[in-house]
Amino acid sequence: MRDGQIILQDVGVGYRIYREKVSTLKEAVANRFRHLRTAEKFWALRQVSLQIAPGEAIALVGHNGSGKSTLLKTIAGVLEPSEGSAVVQGRISPMIELGAGFDPELSGRDNVYLNGALLGFSRKQMEAKFQRIVDFSELGDFIDLPVKNYSSGMYARLGFAIAQDVEPDILIVDEVLAVGDERFQEKCKRRIQDFRAAGITFVFVSHSLPTARELCPRAAVLHHGRLAFDGPTDAAWERYRELERGPAPGPVFQA
Amino acid sequence: MIEAAQQSRPEAAPAAPPALARVRRSSRIAEVWRFRQLVALLVVRELKVRYKRSVLGLLWTMLNPLLLMIVYAVVFTTIMPAAQPNFSVFLLAGLLPWLYFSTSLMQGLMSVLVNQELVRKIRLPQAVFPLSVVGSNLVNFTLSLIPLFAIMAALRQPFTPALLFLPASALLLTVFCAGVTLLFATATVFFRDVRHLTEVLLQMLLYLSPVLYDLKQLGEHRSWWFQLFRLELRINPLSSLIPLVRDPVYYGRLPSLATVAVALAWAVGALLVGFAVFTRLEPRHIHHL
Repeated sequence: MRDGQIILQDVGVGYRIYREKVSTLKEAVANRFRHLRTAEKFWALRQVSLQIAPGEAIALVGHNGSGKSTLLKTIAGVLEPSEGSAVVQGRISPMIELGAGFDPELSGRDNVYLNGALLGFSRKQMEAKFQRIVDFSELGDFIDLPVKNYSSGMYARLGFAIAQDVEPDILIVDEVLAVGDERFQEKCKRRIQDFRAAGITFVFVSHSLPTARELCPRAAVLHHGRLAFDGPTDAAWERYRELERGPAPGPVFQA
Repeated sequence: MIEAAQQSRPEAAPAAPPALARVRRSSRIAEVWRFRQLVALLVVRELKVRYKRSVLGLLWTMLNPLLLMIVYAVVFTTIMPAAQPNFSVFLLAGLLPWLYFSTSLMQGLMSVLVNQELVRKIRLPQAVFPLSVVGSNLVNFTLSLIPLFAIMAALRQPFTPALLFLPASALLLTVFCAGVTLLFATATVFFRDVRHLTEVLLQMLLYLSPVLYDLKQLGEHRSWWFQLFRLELRINPLSSLIPLVRDPVYYGRLPSLATVAVALAWAVGALLVGFAVFTRLEPRHIHHL
């Protein structure tokens, strides 16, 4: 298995939905844990099989609640599949949300090191990257200001600047390109294309056809937790439109 | 309301290679070790944020026990005189390890919940959160030894070579705190009541442990409840952990070998159980946040 490879085999992620709301021990004991038996299972993802080769780029498309985020989280290793298996090889740079893990009270500088450590980098490794990150973010002297004083654009810029410098094998991006001004967005896209040229696997969630077409030749359509289509981006988009128009089936429940 | 579906057996997909997420215990330890710098950074963040915008900053860590001391000293020398000489040193020598344990536990059991935004977005060993709380309390504990020594000097309490044992005491306390905190942190994710329950239990435990008194001061009673209390003190881990600090500080002697052995067993046992339970349940946390 090579770095950058993703193999999803019949992946399902299920939640239990309880008709009776129980969140305290007292209620659980009083009910003699009856709630555990009356639970219904809700599958946010079911029987999703995807093989993504190193260096490939794929867009995930689907309506709200179709399981895109769940799939992304499964690939990122944040969620464990309840059935099937997800094998992901290599270092992942999860840009599920830019600036996730920033502490608003700390300065931009401290947050660079904190974020690096969250991704498993040592202080020394981050010191080597620090100047590049500041340059990319174009924050200049603002880097020593507490992050809570940043504008949302500055926040996203710093977040992207860190995420783009972690030498990932797999890059996971969740609609982050919607933030920042147009010029910075262009810069991010160019950076992502550099990554692609360098053979980094790229998984991207998108609601915008032009961006998806620009960045990924392949797209997967998710519909109510199932894989509805996997193929060229344009065809995938058509399928997505078709599913949007069609009557929405209820969520997949199974007692 | 929403709980993780039963983790289905990995054998369900025989053709596929084993899932990355199902890693061996030894590599769980390696993973936490790989993130040790994160623990250090989280400790620094904790301290930085806690004392931000306060004029005295870290000095508060030292002022806290000092002020506490003055209160106790006044109470136990004038209002309710205690029999022991230098009772305030005696008290502080018990209270400092107690506060280290109870504060670590109360802060640490919330740590996964407090950091849920990170848990949802970045894959990392979640044990770093409770461990960093214990770490920042270790810093507090260490710093609060400075005012303790100042008070000892002021009250002419002798300084003996036995004080050199204190680093070992701190290590044993830390290992024990880490284990218990890991266990309670994962329990709190599943049942939020654990927090409130622990709060009450800690208040009781303060009196059920030899913090404000010494085991040797207990007289003899024939009553069954006293025998029960005796038994409780015998199995209470704090009965061997508190003397690790109090013996060198107040009595100027090393803790007995038996005490150290029991404390070591508790510390290692707590960490093994705490870490095993925590890492076992860790994948299910995200469904309960």
